[in-house]
Amino acid sequence: MRDAALTAALLCTALGLDLASAERKVVLLGVFVFVGSACAAALAPVPAAWSDGVFLGCWMSIVASAAIVHRRRALKNGVALALSLNAGVWSGAVIALSPSRMNLLEALPAALCAWPAAWVRRQGQAIVLKVLASWLIAIAVLGATLQFLPVTPGYLPDHVD
Amino acid sequence: MRRAALDIVGTMCEEARKREGVARRLALAIVLAVASGIARVTPAYAHMGTGLPGGFESGFKHPFSGFDHLLAMVSVGMWGAFLGRPLLYALPVIFPCMMVAGAILGMLLVPMPPVELGIAVSVLVLGLCVSFAIQAPAWAACAIVATFAIFHGYAHGMELPSAADPIGYSVGFVLATGLLHVCGIGIGLLNARPNGILVTRSLGAAVALAGGSYLWLALGL
Repeated sequence: MRDAALTAALLCTALGLDLASAERKVVLLGVFVFVGSACAAALAPVPAAWSDGVFLGCWMSIVASAAIVHRRRALKNGVALALSLNAGVWSGAVIALSPSRMNLLEALPAALCAWPAAWVRRQGQAIVLKVLASWLIAIAVLGATLQFLPVTPGYLPDHVD
Repeated sequence: MRRAALDIVGTMCEEARKREGVARRLALAIVLAVASGIARVTPAYAHMGTGLPGGFESGFKHPFSGFDHLLAMVSVGMWGAFLGRPLLYALPVIFPCMMVAGAILGMLLVPMPPVELGIAVSVLVLGLCVSFAIQAPAWAACAIVATFAIFHGYAHGMELPSAADPIGYSVGFVLATGLLHVCGIGIGLLNARPNGILVTRSLGAAVALAGGSYLWLALGL
């Protein structure tokens, strides 16, 4: 079983690290867009057959969002809002595939890391955020790769089950 | 007046000598303690398990369950502290990323040189790098750390598919690895204190000793 809440929480964390570099009004608008789109996507009927594609989209979004932390100049207002919308859609879609939509409540608070991350950036320690973003990229690449491996991934029943 | 000044200088020198003595004893104690611990540790204990229950908790605990992985991770941070910026931050980024590459190779069962041997060598070399405070060029440090990370990742990757929740497991082991680097950097901050370098280098020597014993056992000598 794939942990949808954890995957969505990782995406929310990546978005939080992005928003830490954005202007205050963009952060507020971004959070609004993110929460709105996540709730809408979570309530949408997502076919179970799309599971692999949705999870892949979520992993790719984590990579994209975390990569932006390394390119702060690329984070224009429009880009921040686009990332918020993207994160909301994919995290909501992943949650829609989980047994309970209440899992969204476990994932969304991870975006609140934007506030401590902004504080860390103000202290001149932006490199800490870059290190965290790199770890997120590493996890996302591994998570995405698992779907395409010819071996038995842990979320599928193997010969023991 | 002059005599008083000389007395003060003499007292300060004596205190410095005492501090140095304490630091040396402390360093010796660390080396002995770690060396005695090694005698009871099975080699490459972190990489012997299969059929793991999986999940975040299992993945997070995994690097802590065996001294080989733990010592290598901490050493990377300590060496980064010696090398300074930008490697102080670059090494903890490179290691988890290359570890993931190694994990993918492990899951695909791509043939590699003996993994336990590679892990033992990584502990030995990283310990020596810290012990001798080797100021390697940036590209060389990155290459060394990246190569060893592949071995550690390969070992994890071979175990990952059998875990019940591979995503949680991956998050756990990448996070734990990163935190161990941060611990190493924290220990490396001792370098800024008087005689701190002696303590750090002694820890490096202890790690190298451990690596030597792992290598000895891995070679079956």
